[in-house]
Amino acid sequence: MLFRERYEHDLWLIRGSQAWVAAGVAGLFLLALPFLFKGYVVYNFTLFFVYALVALSLSVLVGLTGQVSLGHAGFLAAGAYAQAVLVSQGVPFLLALPLTIALVALLGVVIGVPALRLEGPYLAIATLGFGLAIQQILNNWRLVGASTGMLVERPVLFGVDLYGDTPYYYLVLAVAGVTTWALFNLERSHVGRAFRATRDADLAAQMSGIGLARYKTLAFVISAGVAGLAGALYGPLIGYITPESFNLLLSIKFLLMTIVGGLGFLPGALLGAGFITGLDVWLSTFRSWSQLVFGVVVIAIMMLEPAGLYGRWLKIKRFWKSWPL
Amino acid sequence: MSGFADLLQVLVSGASVGSVYALVALGLVLLYRTTRILNFAHGDLGVLGTFVAYTLLRQLDLPFGLSFLLALAAAGAIGGLVYLLLVRPAKNQSELGLLILTLGLALALGGLDALLFGTDNKVVPTLVADRIVRLGGASLSLVSLVTAAFGVVLMLALWALLGFTKLGVAMRAVAQREDVAEAMGLPVKRVLVATWAASAVLAAAAALLFAPTTLLNPTMMLDPLSKGFVAAVIGGMNSLPGAVVGGYLLGVLELLVGIYVSLEFKASFAFLVVVLVLVLRPHGLLGRAEVKRV
Repeated sequence: MLFRERYEHDLWLIRGSQAWVAAGVAGLFLLALPFLFKGYVVYNFTLFFVYALVALSLSVLVGLTGQVSLGHAGFLAAGAYAQAVLVSQGVPFLLALPLTIALVALLGVVIGVPALRLEGPYLAIATLGFGLAIQQILNNWRLVGASTGMLVERPVLFGVDLYGDTPYYYLVLAVAGVTTWALFNLERSHVGRAFRATRDADLAAQMSGIGLARYKTLAFVISAGVAGLAGALYGPLIGYITPESFNLLLSIKFLLMTIVGGLGFLPGALLGAGFITGLDVWLSTFRSWSQLVFGVVVIAIMMLEPAGLYGRWLKIKRFWKSWPL
Repeated sequence: MSGFADLLQVLVSGASVGSVYALVALGLVLLYRTTRILNFAHGDLGVLGTFVAYTLLRQLDLPFGLSFLLALAAAGAIGGLVYLLLVRPAKNQSELGLLILTLGLALALGGLDALLFGTDNKVVPTLVADRIVRLGGASLSLVSLVTAAFGVVLMLALWALLGFTKLGVAMRAVAQREDVAEAMGLPVKRVLVATWAASAVLAAAAALLFAPTTLLNPTMMLDPLSKGFVAAVIGGMNSLPGAVVGGYLLGVLELLVGIYVSLEFKASFAFLVVVLVLVLRPHGLLGRAEVKRV
């Protein structure tokens, strides 16, 4: 469907029969994946789901409300550590998840309120500082193992041991799927429209009755909460968390995902997360060349396609649909 | 030792670290106020310049001063080329898009350094042989005195460039309104190349001053770069004096915290300062808020 011609088109999450087929095929593929591939691929897809959650959360903050964050690894770290500490204190996994989300969302308020006054480079550097500060606090905090980190075990849910890669894959798939669906819905709700209004014209939005402070803080809270959830899934996935694993490079990679994928489009964040995760896995075979190639690919995308991968996809789609016009 | 001597010692070593921060911050601010680009490749441009100096010193046995100057020139040329080959033709000219471009460049340059020069630590000689200078009861390291002095000289040179030369006036004009400057017949492209070059020279100078105190490797500038960003933000991203004030302030304060509070806290202290300053003054100490037209 090339153009939105009726009001309902704007309301639909999946537009047109082709999109339904594509979504169905993708869903079936993801459900069948552990039967088709070996453990290594399953593990990397689980990692992709976790990163996709962070990329989506960053897309809500940077893409929808226009507040940049260079410290999202900090929220991921807070989520991973909060979940690990709660579980080690005897809190059941299913209760620890919402508690972790609440705790990290609260951290989002703590960061989001001072961030209200900042914009552009000031916000970028302040969030960068937040990410580094979290890492250093964890590095010096003996309760959470300081620089040696913490062991995180995969949970047992309803008598099912999720120790293996395949059962854990399904848990993460379910949580990530539901969260993605919720965020896509958020985007088309009045909240999502208010986010975009504050990004595009804050003064006009304010005059239309949108409380800027409220919505900007809300965006930080939602973004932090989702990133915290991703962290809670990330810890058990890799099994062993150290402050060093949540470094500045990870924050940068999250920002790369949202922008390489296509800023302002939630599907772009998914594409970007897949692209960067895949690139990372592929480049790990290159060893010493990997960093150079990674940088060059990022430069090339920024130089050639301003709207990112998703923007390029939209252009291709438009070209074929309207051909030979 | 008297309190005054202690204070003098802290001030000089703080100023020595601070002048590196201030030079990094100056380069960042110089570029930001003209092009609105937050340059994350700044540190890696500096490291590349230092590697050039190291190669000239060790492989070609050139004298120290000459290889130092050649390295600065090389860094300037690379800076100009980055603008002409990467930044200017880039289709994504949004602030965030260019930020990502420089992040990609930082990764690529870091990877290139590692491939060409290896990741092992290399010893870079200092400008002068280090010895202890006694002054008013305080023992001061000659190297940190020279570093601080050299930083000041470079800053004065930049001030003279911006204030008293045609190029400097053109840079300030482009920083204010690029389109009007173009309409008035200024060669904006050349001015921007010069700005990138000047910024890269400052990066290389900072890296060359910093290299002897640590060891030369591709990730050497990671910490000074993040502190330089902090200094620039504290001072105000569009204020050059702010960058200098921010750099020296951060250098001295950080050292005081390391001595009197705790060493562990020293690293995260800079970011606490940033948050405190920004909450009180969202555009830095000396920066001015941009007036938005509706």
